[in-house]
Amino acid sequence: MTRTQVRDTRTPAPPPTPRTTPRRRAGVLTESALAAAMLITLVPIAWTVLLAFLPNRAIVNRSWDFPLWIGNFATLLRPGEPFLAQLGNSLLIVLGTTVLCLAIGSVSGYALSRLHPPRWLTAPALGLAGLLPLVPPMTLVPGLYLTLSNLGLLGGPLGLILLNTVFNLPFAVLLMKSYIDQIPEELREAALVDGASEARIFFSVVLPLVRPGLAAVGIFVSIMAWNEFLFGLTMTSGGTSAPLTVGIAALLQPYQVTWGQLAAIGVVAALPIIALAMVANRHIVAGLTAGAVKG
Amino acid sequence: MSPPAAPATDRDSRPPPPVSARATSVLSGSRALSVIALLPFLAFLVVFALYPLAELVRLSVTDTTIVGGAFVSAWAGPANFVTAWTDVAAGRSALITIAFVILCVGVTIVLGLTLALLVDRAVVLAGAARNVLIWPAVVAPVVVSTMWLLLLSPTVGGINKVLASVGLPTQGWLDSEFGAFVSIVVVDVWHWTPVVFLFMFTALRGIDREVLEAARIDGAGEWQIVGRVVLPIIRPAIIAVALVRLVMSIKAFDEMYLLTRGGPGGATNLISLHIRSLFFDQLAFGPAAALSISIVAVTCAVVGGALVARRLRREGGPT
Repeated sequence: MTRTQVRDTRTPAPPPTPRTTPRRRAGVLTESALAAAMLITLVPIAWTVLLAFLPNRAIVNRSWDFPLWIGNFATLLRPGEPFLAQLGNSLLIVLGTTVLCLAIGSVSGYALSRLHPPRWLTAPALGLAGLLPLVPPMTLVPGLYLTLSNLGLLGGPLGLILLNTVFNLPFAVLLMKSYIDQIPEELREAALVDGASEARIFFSVVLPLVRPGLAAVGIFVSIMAWNEFLFGLTMTSGGTSAPLTVGIAALLQPYQVTWGQLAAIGVVAALPIIALAMVANRHIVAGLTAGAVKG
Repeated sequence: MSPPAAPATDRDSRPPPPVSARATSVLSGSRALSVIALLPFLAFLVVFALYPLAELVRLSVTDTTIVGGAFVSAWAGPANFVTAWTDVAAGRSALITIAFVILCVGVTIVLGLTLALLVDRAVVLAGAARNVLIWPAVVAPVVVSTMWLLLLSPTVGGINKVLASVGLPTQGWLDSEFGAFVSIVVVDVWHWTPVVFLFMFTALRGIDREVLEAARIDGAGEWQIVGRVVLPIIRPAIIAVALVRLVMSIKAFDEMYLLTRGGPGGATNLISLHIRSLFFDQLAFGPAAALSISIVAVTCAVVGGALVARRLRREGGPT
């Protein structure tokens, strides 16, 4: 069998089928393996979305009939439920963290890239910024708790904005620096010769050119802040002062889980981010690959 | 001699000839400006990174207790480190963490690399897969554990529902020590394989297509191309992503905290969970801080060692 195939390929006009078949078979295998991987990726997400639209008795039931229902979401919105306050806290934390990281990240990135700051200042700062992602955040909770307590920022969104900012800043600064590094130095020199101030150069020349970097940092930091759990858990007293992730954890009580509500709040926390991942895929890829290196 | 030396003089205050006097004054003045521009970044690092780290070190060498709502510390020397290192529970937690880290890093790298190779070759599903396969990585760890609890739970879990409807016995996935440990590995692999996939896919796309074409013309099969050409080229990327995943799995906390709370019987008590319990349940601040510092030191040593080895290899290598 193999011998005839070899002879086939050596003939001056080989019939195309025996050569393409193995490749096509490999193609089918590739596509089906990918389809399986996508299915495994989607099953936990789809199952959660399904349960979010089921009443609890249908969830606990072993049967496969699904009486769709939006009551879980309605329950979350009932007066007295902390859901809306937690959603507001999460949005506020995302907004504040992203603005701070973009502002500080781009200014510091510019300074590191172009302004030649003294080495005695940058070496320890960059060392610390490189060390921070290696430290399990859990280990810093006691010290951070004291810090926030001294500053009077415990239990509010501002404290969480500052903590989220510091843990995302090393990434934001270094990624912005690498984007600014790619701008030709001649542009800055030309603007300096024309009499532009550093501030003018930063706002009118540099920022417009690093918009992709700002997008990557902004989207990545938003996702990290939206998903953050540990500081929300330890720096607030729960309830209406907590972010959404802590609200989800609060529903996970060992003996009395309201499954439908849990699924519904999970959907609220996951779907906006997944939608963002679909729309802004390119920026998320840039942020994740760079962010994972630093984080 | 002077033209090639020009860039080097840039760092001294001697002005390079072609730039106007006005521009040079701005350039030299930019040093002060650079410090001002870096101030917010430095302030954040000092207040929210340096201070808590210093506090951690202070806790680790003192005997700290809460007396009447205030922290009271007394010098303890290395006693906390001795306590932390000789603690049986901490040792078990460290062993569990090592097993977890090795399994998670290994499996995510094999799967992520495989997926990247598949997407690189796929035609029909390539676009959709590149989008869908990264979704788990953007979902909050808390939500990921919720999703998996809804699948693994003995009462409402989707997996048991499937098993029951095809007549197989249902399992308490998170109730047995082995089942719970395997479950947290599966959850971690599901959550973070996308990051490895992205890295590997980016690395694959960076390979010069002509190299692959040359190998193909020389008669190499697909497996040979992957094993002898592709993998050696992207090896630096594989090592980089392995380090990233190593740090991530040492830091793992949220998913296990919600899914198993370290149980049953401490089978999923990763080191982060153990440190949390020392700090907040047992109020053993000193040993907790000592253990924290030990973990940070080990992480730094591994990552630093790998980076140094890479640099030595690069310098010692033929090119």
